Amino acid sequence: MTQLLRRVLLSDYFVLGLSLLYVAAVAPFTPGFVSAENFTNILSALLPLLVVALGQTIVLITGGIDLSVTAVIGLSSIVGAMAMNHETGWLAQSPIAAPAGVMIMLLVGASVGALNGIAVAIARMPAFMVTLASMMGFSGLAVWLTHAKTINALPSGFTMLGGHTMITLAIVLVVGICVHVFLRRSLWGRWLYAVGHNSRASHISGVPVGGITFFAYVASGLLAAMASVLYTGQTETGSPVLGQNILLDVIGATVIGGTSLFGGKGKVVWTLFGVLFLKLVDNSLNLLNLSIFAITIAKGAVILLAAYLDSLRNRFVAA
Amino acid sequence: MKYKFIGILIALTMFATGCGKSGKSKDGLTIGVAFETLQTEYWVAGFDAIRTDLEKRGYTMLQAISNGDPNRQLDQVKNFITRKVDGIILVPKDAKSCLPIIKAANEANIPIVLFNRPADKSDAHSVAVVADNFTLTRETVSYLIDQAKKTGNKLQAAILIGDLGDINAVKRRDGFDAAIQGHEDLIDVVARIPTEWNQEKAQAGVVNALQANPDIGFIFTSSDFLLPSIVSALKSAGKYHKIGEPGHVLLGGFDGDATAWKMLKDGYLDATGVQDVYFEAAQSVQAILDLRAGKTVPDLILDPGFVIHQGNLDEKSKQMWGAQMAAKK
Repeated sequence: MTQLLRRVLLSDYFVLGLSLLYVAAVAPFTPGFVSAENFTNILSALLPLLVVALGQTIVLITGGIDLSVTAVIGLSSIVGAMAMNHETGWLAQSPIAAPAGVMIMLLVGASVGALNGIAVAIARMPAFMVTLASMMGFSGLAVWLTHAKTINALPSGFTMLGGHTMITLAIVLVVGICVHVFLRRSLWGRWLYAVGHNSRASHISGVPVGGITFFAYVASGLLAAMASVLYTGQTETGSPVLGQNILLDVIGATVIGGTSLFGGKGKVVWTLFGVLFLKLVDNSLNLLNLSIFAITIAKGAVILLAAYLDSLRNRFVAA
Repeated sequence: MKYKFIGILIALTMFATGCGKSGKSKDGLTIGVAFETLQTEYWVAGFDAIRTDLEKRGYTMLQAISNGDPNRQLDQVKNFITRKVDGIILVPKDAKSCLPIIKAANEANIPIVLFNRPADKSDAHSVAVVADNFTLTRETVSYLIDQAKKTGNKLQAAILIGDLGDINAVKRRDGFDAAIQGHEDLIDVVARIPTEWNQEKAQAGVVNALQANPDIGFIFTSSDFLLPSIVSALKSAGKYHKIGEPGHVLLGGFDGDATAWKMLKDGYLDATGVQDVYFEAAQSVQAILDLRAGKTVPDLILDPGFVIHQGNLDEKSKQMWGAQMAAKK
């Protein structure tokens, strides 16, 4: 029995199986849940979250955590919108407004990630405190930039990136494959796992621990900014508070997928399944017409369950 | 033991997901109600008023609260569309990010009404039911100015401004300015406190304003939910006195919530502009029915509201939603 449980828990497809089980259990009670239209809804909600969760996966593999991703999403969104707005933007009416706006947003994300990376890798400050402070600081900066105002009138070439599900899917597929290949096939990818398993041993073995840690935070910032491109495109509006409430979803989905909070473990496909599971729960609870309080309680229970499964997995691996 | 624990968690999750109400009502319509937040009494009262109105008509209400997340609200409205609702009542996060939501409803040919918070002008079509924020604020502040005249002194004034991304906050600020215009000999506005609809920022702002201008004798807040922040700051400064007592700071607000009602009753608040939440709820539902029937509905339906003050407290309290909520508590 223990052997079976061990195999199930350690399987790559455990969360996918759980998702299918969940669909089967909930579908009979949930009107409209199993329909092409609803699965398209789930897909469009899942894709931006997956991108930001992939960045979190990279950081968690190194044994760190990045709480600043929500601030990156808000700051990138508002800076990008300030640049691209048709009327008052720095790139107003320019034919390159959309690509240049995306580049600016990615640059903002990478810069915040680089600051986090320097503080964690070089100044050796705790990741939790660094990224918490960074979240507060950059959220405040985002709000200050426009005095909490939102900005719309963005180029259609930009808004279609997040507003068109098939285009978003194509972008996320490319991002996901790149991260997967990087993690599984590159030397730096293997070093990330090594640092997460044991940074001291990695250092002695010649792994550039500082550089790898720095890189992980830059990647996380970059991917959060990419998610911001998609989220901003969905609402066609740059907002300094965009993504403010999704931190628990990001970390929850990543951990539900199986990426360990203790470092050294994580895969793109795990995170995909984690995000899928969380969005299935979210979507079904909405369709069931539950109150916000019941939804919050149920989601909290699911994330708690995931955290418990994570510790169980670690015990099985250690045994 | 640990397996039992997992079992209990799964059971709890399944129970929570399986126990919701589902399905359309047999005969009536199904209306999706998506609110951006339920964090202030006004939104709770609005949500309850819509629910009560729909129940009275025998309709089913689907609900969704996005907790300030416009992307989540878009997902929720798409879920409504999947459920093939007959109409949508929406409180958006702001005037701009709701445009894709309205477009999605338009594409699905589902009438959509914005409750208390209108959208920016665009090619997306919606009907908005909102309080006449400008006029109601101007009338409330005019009442306060009349009270100020009775003191015979020139008063220093402060206004707490809401999130300027919210058109309601802008209109209330403009209503305040319009009322003050022409009375500069009596009222000197020394502090404009940006709150972004945040109680902590409001309190810090009032504390700072009172430190910089200890003689402030007139405060207007763009929403009653900020009144506790003002009271706290006034108490710290030793300036919280009843109407008629020496040192009373003239206080006015907007919304008409339960706190405002209690402060009016206790003699601390001079006046507040009351949004008629029951009128707005009924008009929102009616607008959906009219749109479904192919009738012409104006893009903007105004709730005139009313000013409640010490002179008409008994007469108007029956119409004040905050007084009704206070009575239920």
